[in-house]
Amino acid sequence: MKLYKKEGNIVQILSFPNETVEKGDYLLIEDSDAGKALIAQVIDVQFASIPGILEELLRSLPDGGELIQGEDFDPLEIAPHITYIQDASLLICKIRATVENESLSPSSSWLPSRSQSTIKKLPIPKLLKLAKIDGQLPIVLGGTKDSSLLTIDALSLDGRLNIITGKKETGKSHLSKLLMLDLIGYKATVVVFDLNGEYLSLGTTSDGKRNAYNDKIHVLTPSQNFKISLKQLNLQVLLGILIHALHLPGTSAREFRRIWQSLKERDMLNMHELGEAIRNWHCNQHVRDALFSRYYALVNSGFFTDDTAETMLLEERLFKAKEQGGAIIINLRNTSSIDRQIVVEYALGKLVELLTSLRLKAIFLFAEEAHLYLRETYWDDIVTRMRHFGIFATFITNQPDTIRENIYRQADNIFLFNFTNEHDLEVVSRAARVDAETVKSIARDLPPHYCLALGKVVKDFPMVVKVKALDVKTMGETRLFFKNIN
Amino acid sequence: MQTQALQLKPQPVPLKPKRQETVVAAVDTSSMKIGETSTGILIAVRGATVWKQNKHYRYMRLGPFIFHTTEENKREVYNALQRAYFNSQREHNHQSLPNLMQMPTRIANLLERWLQTMLSKTIGNGLILFDGSLTAGTSDTPTQIMKEILNTARKKASTVLAFSKITNLRFNGHLITEIPPFHEPPYLLEIVSLKTRPPIVVLGDIYVARLTQGNYAFRLDIDKEVSPEQKIQAVEKLLGNDSLSQSYPETLRLAHILCTFTANEVIAMQHFTAHKYGLKMVNRPDMHRLLFGPFGRGEGNS
Repeated sequence: MKLYKKEGNIVQILSFPNETVEKGDYLLIEDSDAGKALIAQVIDVQFASIPGILEELLRSLPDGGELIQGEDFDPLEIAPHITYIQDASLLICKIRATVENESLSPSSSWLPSRSQSTIKKLPIPKLLKLAKIDGQLPIVLGGTKDSSLLTIDALSLDGRLNIITGKKETGKSHLSKLLMLDLIGYKATVVVFDLNGEYLSLGTTSDGKRNAYNDKIHVLTPSQNFKISLKQLNLQVLLGILIHALHLPGTSAREFRRIWQSLKERDMLNMHELGEAIRNWHCNQHVRDALFSRYYALVNSGFFTDDTAETMLLEERLFKAKEQGGAIIINLRNTSSIDRQIVVEYALGKLVELLTSLRLKAIFLFAEEAHLYLRETYWDDIVTRMRHFGIFATFITNQPDTIRENIYRQADNIFLFNFTNEHDLEVVSRAARVDAETVKSIARDLPPHYCLALGKVVKDFPMVVKVKALDVKTMGETRLFFKNIN
Repeated sequence: MQTQALQLKPQPVPLKPKRQETVVAAVDTSSMKIGETSTGILIAVRGATVWKQNKHYRYMRLGPFIFHTTEENKREVYNALQRAYFNSQREHNHQSLPNLMQMPTRIANLLERWLQTMLSKTIGNGLILFDGSLTAGTSDTPTQIMKEILNTARKKASTVLAFSKITNLRFNGHLITEIPPFHEPPYLLEIVSLKTRPPIVVLGDIYVARLTQGNYAFRLDIDKEVSPEQKIQAVEKLLGNDSLSQSYPETLRLAHILCTFTANEVIAMQHFTAHKYGLKMVNRPDMHRLLFGPFGRGEGNS
């Protein structure tokens, strides 16, 4: 390999056919005289612009498009040299760091010698060692291309905003399960908004046996084993549900506040009494109608109950998880859009309440396709305000444009699976921790189950990893009509 | 070479394509200086023969052959090649030898004559197309060798047709290939009364060939010893058996294309000589560029 060009933090390297280098590989450009080396990552492999190549190709197809037949007598065996030159490739590489005295710096301000520099592939284990990507709480993500393991530190997820994205069936949920289970293993508290019921059997192995996480996975299905009474709620949480999930106008919300105070003073906070109070409340008929319609929405959700035996205290599950580590899976499968929003409003409100009162330390929130249940204003809330309370979100989506640009800008870690759509790649490339060229070039060619890890987990050295398999029962499979036909 | 005013026969010879199955074969070579060393130059030559049979083109390509010629070895190299190709006992002394810069063309010419000899020996009842003219008696086209090639072809009932892309022959001050068409192509215009000074001899009858519509015409030399009817028939068979575009036969075009060196081949050959023989190329500065900057014509344009 030969150093050809450097423009900004892009270097172009001429590579010959016997040097197998692929997108995503790391190269070490070592200038021994300068005592420094550049670490560069291959983000694209192109044909080298060899003069005369067009003539060469045209020459081989002159007979009406049919290959002209013939014999070559080449006694000096020049042909392999011609092929060698023709197949030379140009590696477009992004400079990631400079190594000097075994320590890394993000500088790319110096120019290695073009004639004297030696260029070789940098094995991933060596890079991991140089970049100190391991840590106290290791999570093995999977294998890299040179068959070494990529281990990240759970601490690099702590207090961070993560995004897992990629097109359908590339392995996003699989990775989020892996991260989640490892976090539980380190006694973390995890809350999952499970839109498709994919996380329900994480406590079971693929052959249906109980696994090590079995007693740490708590599945809460709204209106089944997850019901609440009004007494468990504080007014702010309920108003949040009414205003944001059920779009109650401000005037009606003010009346509701009075009704609530009145019931609370009389210790009559239950659904039945709430209905009666709205019926008998002295107020404008339109306000009453507005309140009634929201009341029946709450009743019909099945999420509220007056039977104390049926109620489930979310905080109890969270406290249990806090002790031993565990995941609260909120099963939103088969839940209507309105009910989903009610449940999510409640859960987030409750989490903020527990975290602000310091009754919970911090939680990791995994939200699949959050745009389907998270109201607009919550996005900023989660990534800014709630992060300070201790809610560390991981968004999982196959529609990257449903996550707003400012969320990408603040993301600390991105786990990117394959995308072929230019628009999707454009959206993801707005993330602050990565350059657009890397995202667009590498993500496009990722095979299923391969992920490009970006951000703090890999100390800003983007790495391609094949996500390791998990021995848990998968539930995210699509129900097919032609399932029994090969 | 032209010693007196040319005459054109007033009547063009109209041509009618003859579809009678005939092998059309062509030969061409190319040479190139691929670099300079501290003691000499590196030369690459390659030759190609192309033939059209049963409506398909086939080729045989020889080379590239690479020579490192120096002032010291050029005589030895040239004489050795001449001996090898033509069994010639004629030894060149230093005066009759080409200078170093002419060596690429001269070596390529040796290869071309040899390929022409081989074609004339192997093609029967066919048409053999040469690039250039049938003028002999020059240092790179000895009359004896060219005569032998034509004789051999004749014995095998083949006709040699030589197409020149460039000519200096003029009629009324105009290049013969630029005389405006006054007949519907395809046709030939015969040139008469061309006299040459010894040792130069013209071994063919010369025509202006305008074989397709358009402004292209070429000087065409046809073996002098062939009967006039056979000459015309040969061109008609060419029209009936080969594709012609811009008045130029495809077989000859392919021979040229196949032997020409492309830039990446030059790089590959430089790579080969450096790796296999450790020859170090020297980049001599272009004095024109150096002295005159943008006004320097550069070596390639001189």
